[in-house]
Amino acid sequence: MLIKNPILTATNLTKRYGPGCAKCLEQTGPDYGRNQCPVCGTVIACAGVDLAIHPQEVLGVVGESGSGKSTVIKMLHFDIDADDGHVGLHTGKIETDNRVRNQNVLKFSSFGKRQIRNAVMGIVYQNPHLGLRMNISAGGNIAERLLMAGWRNVGDMRKRSAMLLDKTEVPISRMDEAPRNFSGGMQQRVQIAKALSNEPVLLLLDEVTTGLDVSVQARVLDLIRKLQQEMDVATLVVSHDLGVIRMLTTRTMVMKNGRVVEAGLTDQILEDPQHPYTQLLVSSALH
Amino acid sequence: MSLAESIEQLPEQKHASYSFAFIDEGAKREIRRQTLKAVAIPGYQVPFGSRDMPVARGWGTGGLQLTLSLIGPDDMLKVIDQGSDDSVNAVNIRKFIERVTSVNTTTDTEKASVIQTRHRIPEEHLKDGQILIFQVPIPEPLRDVEPSERETRRMHAEADYSRMWLFLYEDIVKYNQITIGSRYPVMVGGRYIMDPSPIPRWDIPRLHMGDALFLFGAGREKRIYAIPPHTTVEPLEFDDHRFNVEDFTDKVCMRCGSENTYLDELVDDATGKRIYTCSDTAYCEKAARQKGLLNG
Repeated sequence: MLIKNPILTATNLTKRYGPGCAKCLEQTGPDYGRNQCPVCGTVIACAGVDLAIHPQEVLGVVGESGSGKSTVIKMLHFDIDADDGHVGLHTGKIETDNRVRNQNVLKFSSFGKRQIRNAVMGIVYQNPHLGLRMNISAGGNIAERLLMAGWRNVGDMRKRSAMLLDKTEVPISRMDEAPRNFSGGMQQRVQIAKALSNEPVLLLLDEVTTGLDVSVQARVLDLIRKLQQEMDVATLVVSHDLGVIRMLTTRTMVMKNGRVVEAGLTDQILEDPQHPYTQLLVSSALH
Repeated sequence: MSLAESIEQLPEQKHASYSFAFIDEGAKREIRRQTLKAVAIPGYQVPFGSRDMPVARGWGTGGLQLTLSLIGPDDMLKVIDQGSDDSVNAVNIRKFIERVTSVNTTTDTEKASVIQTRHRIPEEHLKDGQILIFQVPIPEPLRDVEPSERETRRMHAEADYSRMWLFLYEDIVKYNQITIGSRYPVMVGGRYIMDPSPIPRWDIPRLHMGDALFLFGAGREKRIYAIPPHTTVEPLEFDDHRFNVEDFTDKVCMRCGSENTYLDELVDDATGKRIYTCSDTAYCEKAARQKGLLNG
């Protein structure tokens, strides 16, 4: 098998809230069961996180609330600024790659970050209000992403929106309706259509099924799996739900108190967890 | 003749206690500095310390401050309001400037060196050396899509204009056309989206690659911006929904017979008949005179 370069390589991702001191990193983490520094009170949202995402693969990040997994995905999408760390991209899209070659994209200006985001990333948030404009038509929401990428033909944008909504099983007859009139599951499917509209190289899923009822969860997960395979897009899945991780991912990282405690093949982690926290997590699952 | 000499030779100053052109010299200097910055960054809104004028904010104080800070004793001034030299706003501003500067005024676009305008561009082509000063009510083109000033400034800084485009897209989806009448957003120099002030769409193409300097002053909102000569000004449009100017097909001015000017519509209350006249009254009179339609 040909081993390809990872499309995204992140090292030492660190985010803290507070002044920070010399003791912050050594006094927090899973060994102490806390992420707040006892000396200066700084909260270490995450520290020293390394990860690589390869083309077409699905990487999972699992952990309880407050473990720092959402912070990681938000830093990768440039929604929040990292305090430390390096992110390199090798996306296969020539224009982007020429711009980012051998550089730390975390250090780019917000304009540069936006361009990278528009060109190669798509994100689906847990809360559709974060990813969608509720007062603008579903088609318009998808068009916004296309407009960011420089599309300037209304007919073409409508065709593409309709195609994506069809793929994500949203009735095209409701394309010109605002998502605030939609059910939670449907809003989530519009978000997925929006995230996929610019043919991203990297799809980021932040707790996509949390808050949906189980039957709707299952349909959304099925859809994501189908689209992921169809479009061959590398995906990062963040979830506290081991069921979601089991269903979608091939590799998984387990986070606790802002640190990665275990990483490996998903099957291996779920069948034979090594770290005590992972063991607890697996044995706490409801099935 | 130097500026100082020419000021000395002015006819008797009626308001000796005021500086030439009302505004004190320090303030003028500040306004000129911000104007230079605006010219250097076409389409960018430069904040300035809008002074108290003897006219209420919102009545052309931005344009007035620009005019007063730039005008010299040798200038020839023209003031219009929606194309007319004779409307109350134009007359009052012109009288005020005459009073505090003693400059000569004209209604002839060709002869004017400084033209202050509210919501119109004169019909006659503006030449190199002329300055057109717009009175601007709302300088922020993104205000309708984003109420926060901090956020719109960020959007300008990062050229993050997708929401403006989305606004136009939604308009087309809802009404199958872009419904903006005046204040049509334009892209200046390929970089900043700019509010051209509430001029009709008819006037937008004449901002593109002009020979004259266009200055915009918003007194209430404390902003100055500019389009220097020979700058690209493109109305926002889609490949399949092009920008259109107002359609006056088959309509002519009833006073001068012009067929290619921006027309005002008048309805005769008694008969209900619609008639049209040029919105630019000075141009209309000139055209009528040239065609022998007016005497004297």
